[in-house]
Amino acid sequence: MLDYAFLIPLIPLAASLIILLGGKEDPHSPLPYVGVAAMAWCLVQSLFIFWDVATATAPLLPAPDWTWFSFGATAAGKPYIYDMPLNVLIDGPAALMLVVVTLVSLLVQVYSLAYMHGDARFKRYFAFLSFFTASMLGLVVSNNLFVTFACWELVGVSSYLLIGFWFEKQGPPYAAKKAFMTTKLGDCGLYLALLMVFIQVGSFQFTQIREFVALGYMPPLIATVIGLGILFGAAGKSAQFPLFIWLPDAMEGPTPVSALIHAATMVAAGVYLVGRMYFLFAVSPTAMEFVAWAGAITAFMAATMAMVSYDIKRVLAFSTVSQLGFMMCALGAYGYTAGLFHLTTHAFFKALLFLGAGSVIHAVHTNDMRQMGGLSKKMPVTFVTMFIASLSIGGFPLLSGWWSKEMILEKVFEHDPRLFYVLTASALMTAFYMFRMIFLTFTGNDRDHEKHHHAHESPLMMTAPLVLLAFLSVFTGWLLHRHDLIGRLLPFELAEHAGHHFPHWLGYAVTGLACGSMVLSWFFYGGDLSAVTALKEKLLPLFNLLERRYFLDEFFLWLVDLCDRAAKLAFWFDAHVIDQVFIDGWGLVMKIFAELSNLFDALFVDKTVDGFGGLTMDVGVGLRSLVTNGQIQEYLMYIAVAVSLFATLILSR
Amino acid sequence: MTLAHYLTVSALLFLIGIFGALTRRNIIGILMSIELMFNAANINLVAFNHFLHPGSVAGQAFVLFTITIAAAEVVVGLALVLAIYRNTDTTYVEEFNLLKG
Amino acid sequence: MHMLTLITFIPVLGALIILAWPKDKDDAVRVIGLLTAFISFALSVALFFLFDRKDPTMQFKEFASWIPSMGINYALGVDGLSYPLVLLTTFMSLISLIGSLGIKVRVKEYFFWFLILEAGMIGVFAALDLVLFYVFWELTLVPMYFLIGIWGGPKKEFAAIKFFLYTLTGSVFMLLGILAVYFQSNPHTFDILTLMKAHAGWSERFQILVFIAFYLGLAVKIPAFPFHTWLPLAHVEAPTAVSVILAAVLLKMGVYGLMRFCYGMLPLGFAWFLPILIVIAVINIVYGALCAMAQTDMKKMVAYSSVNHMGYCLLGIAGATVTGFSGAVFQMITHGIITGALFLLVGVIYDRAHTRDISAFGGLALKIPLYSALMFLTCFASLGLPGLAGFVGEFLCFLGAFQMWKWHSAVAVLGILATAAFFLRMMEKVFMGPLNTKWSDLEDLTARELWSIVPLAVLTVALGVYPKPALDLMNTTLVSMVGLLK
Repeated sequence: MLDYAFLIPLIPLAASLIILLGGKEDPHSPLPYVGVAAMAWCLVQSLFIFWDVATATAPLLPAPDWTWFSFGATAAGKPYIYDMPLNVLIDGPAALMLVVVTLVSLLVQVYSLAYMHGDARFKRYFAFLSFFTASMLGLVVSNNLFVTFACWELVGVSSYLLIGFWFEKQGPPYAAKKAFMTTKLGDCGLYLALLMVFIQVGSFQFTQIREFVALGYMPPLIATVIGLGILFGAAGKSAQFPLFIWLPDAMEGPTPVSALIHAATMVAAGVYLVGRMYFLFAVSPTAMEFVAWAGAITAFMAATMAMVSYDIKRVLAFSTVSQLGFMMCALGAYGYTAGLFHLTTHAFFKALLFLGAGSVIHAVHTNDMRQMGGLSKKMPVTFVTMFIASLSIGGFPLLSGWWSKEMILEKVFEHDPRLFYVLTASALMTAFYMFRMIFLTFTGNDRDHEKHHHAHESPLMMTAPLVLLAFLSVFTGWLLHRHDLIGRLLPFELAEHAGHHFPHWLGYAVTGLACGSMVLSWFFYGGDLSAVTALKEKLLPLFNLLERRYFLDEFFLWLVDLCDRAAKLAFWFDAHVIDQVFIDGWGLVMKIFAELSNLFDALFVDKTVDGFGGLTMDVGVGLRSLVTNGQIQEYLMYIAVAVSLFATLILSR
Repeated sequence: MTLAHYLTVSALLFLIGIFGALTRRNIIGILMSIELMFNAANINLVAFNHFLHPGSVAGQAFVLFTITIAAAEVVVGLALVLAIYRNTDTTYVEEFNLLKG
Repeated sequence: MHMLTLITFIPVLGALIILAWPKDKDDAVRVIGLLTAFISFALSVALFFLFDRKDPTMQFKEFASWIPSMGINYALGVDGLSYPLVLLTTFMSLISLIGSLGIKVRVKEYFFWFLILEAGMIGVFAALDLVLFYVFWELTLVPMYFLIGIWGGPKKEFAAIKFFLYTLTGSVFMLLGILAVYFQSNPHTFDILTLMKAHAGWSERFQILVFIAFYLGLAVKIPAFPFHTWLPLAHVEAPTAVSVILAAVLLKMGVYGLMRFCYGMLPLGFAWFLPILIVIAVINIVYGALCAMAQTDMKKMVAYSSVNHMGYCLLGIAGATVTGFSGAVFQMITHGIITGALFLLVGVIYDRAHTRDISAFGGLALKIPLYSALMFLTCFASLGLPGLAGFVGEFLCFLGAFQMWKWHSAVAVLGILATAAFFLRMMEKVFMGPLNTKWSDLEDLTARELWSIVPLAVLTVALGVYPKPALDLMNTTLVSMVGLLK
C-alpha cells in the first residue's frame, strides 16, 4: 500500500476529470458517485498507510522518483541540469493528514450528495471538490517543496472556484476574488522563501533541505528570512493575522465546501507547511517567535470577533481562524506535536460544526442566528452532534479538543507565559461564543415562526456524516493520546529547555474556567437577549469595532484602492508622459527637424542649384550681347581667339 | 631640314587658312581656306611620321584618308553652296544672319 | 534535406501561388494559405524528432554563398535556443491563419502578407548570418504594416505607421551595431557563429557601444520599458489574428536577439548593462501589470499583460544564469501560446458583442459556458497557476534572477500579485455575477473558433503538467551558453 502512496492524489484527480468531462450537466447526474468511490478508496489506502507509519519508526520515502521537468542550474559556478523530482514522503504528519483529509473529504462528499442535490451545476461541484482533494493530498504527500507549492496554489484555485460556485449571485464572485487575492498576497512571501531555499540548498526536496539544515549549513539569518516567507504564505492560506480577512467572506460558498476547505483541510495547509519545514524554523528563534505571536494575536482577535457575529457560518469562520491561531502559536512555542495534534482534532469537530450549520441552513434557509432559535426539537440529531462538537472545541474535559488544547497551553506556558495568557483568554472566549451559537440556534424561543415552522431534520445522507464526525470529535483526542501515539507519530526532535514549568493546577483551572464560560454564555443567550442588549448599549464602540472586524477590511480595501490609484497613475503616465511626451514628442522633434531640413533645402540647396542655372543664363545673355550680326564667322573668330589664347596659356607654362 | 621647319610651314598655312575662313565673304573662298587648313594638318601628319616614327606609314595613311574626306567634303559643301545660291541668289556670307539672336 | 530552407520558404511559395491566383477565389486562397502553413508546421514538427537534444551546437545547418564580395552568406541553423521558437512560430502561424478564416475583405492580400510575415519570422530565428538576420527582421515589418493598416480597427493607419516607424527606428540602430561588429572582426565577417567566438579581443568600450545599438533595436520589439507604448496601440487596432502573431512571435524576436547577440556576442556589454536591465525588467513587470489593471478594454489589458510577461523574460535574462535563461525561453513559448489564446478569445467576444469594455458585460458564464471555461483556463495560465503553462517559466525566471538580484526579484513578485488582480477582476466583471440581459442571445464558440483555440488550450495544460519535453529541447544549449560572464 505504501509503495502506491503516489496514487492517493492521482485517483481523485482522475475522478475529477471523469466527472468534469464525462456526461452532460444534470442536477441528478450519477457521476458524483465516482468521486465518492475515489475518496473511499483513498481513505482505505490512507488508513493502511497510517497503520504502517504508526508501527514504523522512520519516515518513509516510497518509490517512484519521477522527474517532472529538468532545467539548467548552476552550482559552484558550474552549470548542470537539475531534475525536479516528483516523489512522496510519508512521515507522521503526512500520514495523519492523509487520514484527516480523505476522511473529511469522503464525509463531505456524501453529505454534499444530499445538500447539493438538484443544483444546476451538481456535477461540476463534485468535479471541483475532487480536484480540491487531489491537490490537497498532493500537498500533503509531496516530498518536494516546489510541488507542494504548486499544489498549494491549486488548492487555492479550487477554493476560488468553490467559493464562487454560485457565481450568478452578487456576493460569491467578490468573496472568491478576495480569498484568492489575499492568499496570493501571502503566497508572494512563500514564493520568495522558495527561491531562497533553492539558492541556498540547491534542492527542493524536504529530505535534502532537512539534511542541509541538520548539517548546520543554513545561516540563521537566511533561515529567518525563509521562515518569515513561509509564515507569510501560511498566514494567507491559514488565515492568520493580518490576512484572515478573506475567510469570513469565503462563507459565501456552499456550506460543505466551507466545512471541507475552509475549516478542516485547506486552511490547515499553512499550519501543516510550517510543520513540514519545522526543522528550518528550529534554526531561527526569531522566526519561531514571529510564528508564535502571529498565532496568538490571530487567536485572540478572531475569538473577539466571533463573540459578536450573528451569522452562524461567520461565527464558525472566526472560530476556525482563532483555532488556527492556536495551532500556529503552538508551533511557534516549540509545541510541534501539540500544534499538529490540535490540527487533527480540530479538523473533525470543525467539519462537524460546519456540516451541522449547513444542515440548519438547509432547514431554515438563512444564516442569521437571530432568525433561528428553538430548533433543538425540530432537528435533534443536528443539535446533539453540534452540541458535542461545541463541547469539544470549548475544551470540555476528555473530549478531543480538550486533549489538544491542554497540550498547547502547556507548551505555550513553558515557552512564554505571556502567550499563555493570550491563548487562555481566547480559549475562554471560544467556549463562550460556541455556546452562544448553540443557544441562539437551538434553544429559547423560535424568533422567526415562519422559518421555524418549515424547519425539519435533514436526510440520513446528511446526518450520518454528522454522527460519525461526532464520534470522532469525542474520541480522536483520547485515541491519539493513548500510549502517546501522537508523540510517536509527530516526534518532537528539538531540545528546547523548558523555561517555565507548567503547574498542573493551572490546567485544571483553565478547564474549569472554560466550562464556566459555557455556563456564562447560557446566562446571556440561553433565554431572552435583554442582558446582551443592555451590555451592547454600554459597550457600543467595542461592539462596533468587533463587528467591523477591527477595520482590517477597510485597511485592505484602502490598500486595493491605493493600488487602483497607482494603476490609474501608471496608465496616465504611460499614455500621456511616455507615449505622448516621450515617443510622440520624439516624433514631433523629428517633424520639426524635417521642416527645418525642408527649409534649408528650399533656402540653400535648391537656391544654389537654381543660382548656378541663373548664373549660366546671365553669362549667356551677357555674352550674346557681344554678338552683333549673327554671322558664323564672328563666332568662329571668338573660337579662334579663345583657342589661341588657351593654347598660348598652356604652351607657355 | 628639321621637323621645326615643316611645322612652321604647316602653322603658317593653317593661319592663312584661318584668316581666309574668317575674313572671306564668299562661301567658295571659305571652303578653299578650309582646304588649306586640311593641308596644314596633312603636312603635320607626314612630318611627325617621318621624324618620329620613320618605319611606319600610319601618318601617310591618315593623310590619304584626310584627302579623300576633304574631297568628299568639298563635294558636299559645293552642293550646299549651290542649293543656297538657288534659294537666295547670293554666296556672300554676310547676307546670312539667321543665327542673330 | 534542406529542412530549414523548406520551412522558411514554403510560406513564401504559398504566398506567390496566392499572388498568382484569381482574385475572387477566396476559398481557394484560404486553403492554399492553410496548407502551406500546415506543411511548414509539419516539417518543423518533424525536426522535433530529428533534433539532437544532447548537442549544444547548431543543427540542420545550411550554407550557401550569397554576396561573396562582402562575405555575406545564406546560412541557416537552429539550436536549443532557436528551435523552440521556430516551432512556436510555425504553430502560431497556423493557428492564426485558422483564426483568420473569418476575414472577409481582401482575402488574397491578407493571406499573402501573412505568409510573407511567417517566412520572415522563421528566418529571424533560423538565420546564422547577421545580414540575413537583418533582412528577415525587416521583412517582418512590411507585412505587419499592411496587416494592421488595412484590416485593423478605427485608428489602423495611425497604429500601423507608428508601429512601423517605431520599430524601424530601433532597427536602424541595430544595423549600425551589425556594421560595427563586421568592421571590428578580423577578417570581416557577418557570420554569427564566428562572431560569437570573436568577442574575446574586443574592448569593453566597444562592446558597450555596440550593445547599446543592438539593445535599442531589440528593446523596441521586446518591448522593454520605455519603448513599449507602440504595443497597446498596435494590439488594439490590429485584427485578432495579427494581434495573436504579434504577441506570440514578434515580441519573441527581441528577446531572442537579446540572448543570441547581446549576450552571446557582446558579453562585456551585457555585463555592463545588467544592473539597468534588471531595473527595466522589474519596471516591465510591476508597471506593466499596473497599467493592465487600469484598463477597461480587454484587448488593451491583455496587451499590457504582454508587457508584464515579457518583463519576466527580461528578469530571467538579467539573472545571467542558465536557470533564468531556461525560464526566459520557456516563458517565451508559454507566453506565445497563452497570450495567443487570450487574444483569440477576446477577438471572439468582440466579434459577437462589438465591444471589449470589461464593465459592459456580466454573468457571461451562464450564457456561454464553453467560452467562459476556456477564458478561465487561459487567464489562470497567464497569471501563473501551477499545472498550466505559465507557472514553470515564470518560476524559473525568478529563480534565475534571484541569485543575483534579491531585492529586485522581491519587488517583481508583487507583479505576480498585480497580474492576478487584473485577471481576476476581469473574470469577475465579465463572467460572474448576474447575467447582463443585454447579452442574453450571445452564442457560444463556433467550430472554427474552437479549432483555433482548443489546440492552444490543450498545449497550455500539457506544457503545464509536463513541461519536460519542451525544457529538454533547450537545456543542453543553454548550459553551454552560460559561463561567458565572469
